[in-house]
Amino acid sequence: MLVDAGFVALFVAFVVGGYVMAASFLGARIHAPALVLSARYGMMTTPALLLTSTLALVYAFVTDDFSVRYVAENSSRALPDAYTWVALYAGNAGSLLFIATVYSILSVVAVVGLSRSLPYTAPYATGVMSMVLTFFLGVIVFLANPLERLPVALVDGQGINPLLIHFGMFIHPPMQMMGLISVAIPFAIAIGALLAGRGGRDEWVDQGRLWGMISWLILTIGLLLGAWWAYTILGWGGYWAWDPVENSALMPWLAMTAFVHSIMVQKRRGMFRMWNIVLVSVAFVLAEMGMFINRGGPVPSVHSFAQSTMGWVFLGFMAFTLLAALAAFTWRVDTLKSRESVESMLSRESALLTQNVLFLAVAFITLWGTIYPVFSEAASDVVITVGRPFFDRVNGPILLVLVFLMGVGPLLPWRRANARNVLGILKWPLAGAGLTVITLAVLGVREPLALLGVAVCVMTFVGVGHEWLRGSRTRHKRGESYPLAFIRLLGANRPRYGGYVVHLGIAVLALGVIGSSFYAVQRDFNMSIGETASLGGYDFAYVNVDSRAFSDRIETTARFDVSRSGSRIGTMDARRTFYVDHGVAATRAAIRSTPIEDFYIVPSEFTEAGDAVFRVYVNPVVWWMWAAGPLFVLGAVLALSPRRRTVPASLPLPKGVRHATL
Amino acid sequence: MIRLIVPMAVRSWKIWLRLLASAVMLTAAATACASDSSVPLVEARAQEVNKSLMCPVCPGESIDQSQHPRAEVMRSVVGEKIEAGWTDDEIRQFFVERYGPSVLLDPPREGMAWLVWAVPPVILLAAGVALYLVLRFAVRSAGRSRGSRASEEDLSDHERSEYYERIEEVIGLDAEPQPGSQSPAGTQNADGAGEAVAR
Repeated sequence: MLVDAGFVALFVAFVVGGYVMAASFLGARIHAPALVLSARYGMMTTPALLLTSTLALVYAFVTDDFSVRYVAENSSRALPDAYTWVALYAGNAGSLLFIATVYSILSVVAVVGLSRSLPYTAPYATGVMSMVLTFFLGVIVFLANPLERLPVALVDGQGINPLLIHFGMFIHPPMQMMGLISVAIPFAIAIGALLAGRGGRDEWVDQGRLWGMISWLILTIGLLLGAWWAYTILGWGGYWAWDPVENSALMPWLAMTAFVHSIMVQKRRGMFRMWNIVLVSVAFVLAEMGMFINRGGPVPSVHSFAQSTMGWVFLGFMAFTLLAALAAFTWRVDTLKSRESVESMLSRESALLTQNVLFLAVAFITLWGTIYPVFSEAASDVVITVGRPFFDRVNGPILLVLVFLMGVGPLLPWRRANARNVLGILKWPLAGAGLTVITLAVLGVREPLALLGVAVCVMTFVGVGHEWLRGSRTRHKRGESYPLAFIRLLGANRPRYGGYVVHLGIAVLALGVIGSSFYAVQRDFNMSIGETASLGGYDFAYVNVDSRAFSDRIETTARFDVSRSGSRIGTMDARRTFYVDHGVAATRAAIRSTPIEDFYIVPSEFTEAGDAVFRVYVNPVVWWMWAAGPLFVLGAVLALSPRRRTVPASLPLPKGVRHATL
Repeated sequence: MIRLIVPMAVRSWKIWLRLLASAVMLTAAATACASDSSVPLVEARAQEVNKSLMCPVCPGESIDQSQHPRAEVMRSVVGEKIEAGWTDDEIRQFFVERYGPSVLLDPPREGMAWLVWAVPPVILLAAGVALYLVLRFAVRSAGRSRGSRASEEDLSDHERSEYYERIEEVIGLDAEPQPGSQSPAGTQNADGAGEAVAR
């Protein structure tokens, strides 16, 4: 019953979405406020409709309703109860419904804010948002209906892909999907402003930046959670493999990162008006590319959980988006002339533009490497695999330059700098970096790239630290205590200091990446119960093995007694679970994580006697990668936290405004 | 991290420096320990080769990272070949003959795969040249127009009025006493009024 109601709601949402699109554009074009308003209210009904459908699907999962095809394909009676709540996004159709639902909620929040602050842009932006929503709903209704019934109900379902049974399932897929679709909102705001002919005024910038940052943050957390999940479950001691789907989530992130920086230049200086619209459009097209590759695109990937041919429908929509954005841009390009232009090759503006270009270069190189296998097959019938070595070698150096720019750029003044004051500004960061390199070299770190990497990270630490110190000291001289001075300082320019916190997070993340890429140690040990081995200063004894059979799986857990340099650390359990029906094994590594290094044991197949090959890693400083997550959240929230605007008292209020809220 | 950041900046710079130093020491200690490797050379070589070969049945994964039985078999083949004195390239060639060129994760610098390496430098170069030209053009045009808008007093009447209009617009929008919450009609009126002013 509920399932059928869910489908009705879904279909109604599709129709409403189509209406909102038509009414918004038409109403805005012919200046019919009532039409525009009806569209806005229409948009507001979509979350309720889609939540109904989603709840219907969740209900079908939780109650093991195997008369629904999608439930039968992605769940089983043996699935732990907790996972039935999230199994809806284990497959294609359900994840689309999830994306549409989340997107409708985000859109409504955005539309409410827009109609208050950007009355002219809002109808067009609403139109663009509903166009994207309608596309998704159309695909769901006509091509991938998760609420479709089977002719006969099955007794039990086929079960979920075993790799998805992990705590990460609750957070990584929803974050990642939400991140990809959320790029549509800054895109809609930018295109809305453009269509309204107001792209040249910088009024859309605040909303665009707000949603750009929100989208950036969600994408960042999604990526980080994905890395963490891969690290704990895929059992190869790594967190990033330049897999096509990873790449496709990274590409929009790169473009969004460029956007949230360059939008600040428009906010501050009224420049880069065209560029920002191009950037956010590129970001959205890349996000669509991400969804395309993830929905059964042509590139084989470890993430192929949801294979289907509908990828091509996404490709079509992507092409449409690209052309439509281009058309809108061409039509309105005369409204986009910038108020000012870059005044010096050496200025914060030019550093930001360089950063933008490099981010886009990484994004396009990644895109190139990702689609090259398909390209080579089409061109010459030979499939060329483009794997990790390519991306490491090509993107690694550019990313290093970007981390360097992150340390230097924010210290440069707006408008113009000269060689002398640049040297003055960079004195401390350079000294800190030099000192670190010397210390590390003396201590035995000889890898030149690793040293360079650490040096550019330290530049960011010292640069940000010095700025904070200087600001706090100035306030301290005016009689504030240091802690108070520091907090007030952060509050005084939140976009700037929030950005600094994010930069610290990136530098911390980069340290983790550098340490673990250059200095990870890995070795396979064939061990029987009672044996002891050692690696990287850790001694580990294989104490016992415990095997348990469940209705759908066999869990084998090996227990180790671990000590480091003679002092006992404790026991660690490494598990391998074999899913009988799927013939698939999933591992759960035993990880002991400290800020200095991770000790990581992952088992392969066990024999009857409990012998197994264990792969053991010692991964230095990986812990810091996860520590960067809270910094990103903290920084982004600080950068976005609203600040009361003060209006100079002498300025007369415009006619019709009785009072200004201060 | 938060524990580290907050004192880092709120207390005096000495503590901050000390923390930095200890972080550096930690990194150094970690890397120094890790590089003191107890992995035999043969195994280290095998790992390198494994990381450059794709598992043919588990796309996107190297045989080093994959847990598929096929990858396991391939790993042991790599081990045997190394024992038997083959070079890394000979081993890779052996797998290329069996599985085709797609087994190489690292595209060779020849034939069709050469193109994949050639394009990124071209992208970078083109981006660099474009960036330079745009910046140079912008800087020049800024230099030409600088005289005409050296200070606020020099604004033309038109520019000044546009400037004030922008300020009023911002304040007006900020000060709207929550139009949306009153009535839908009210919102539309406010919009319409704004439109009239703007035109």
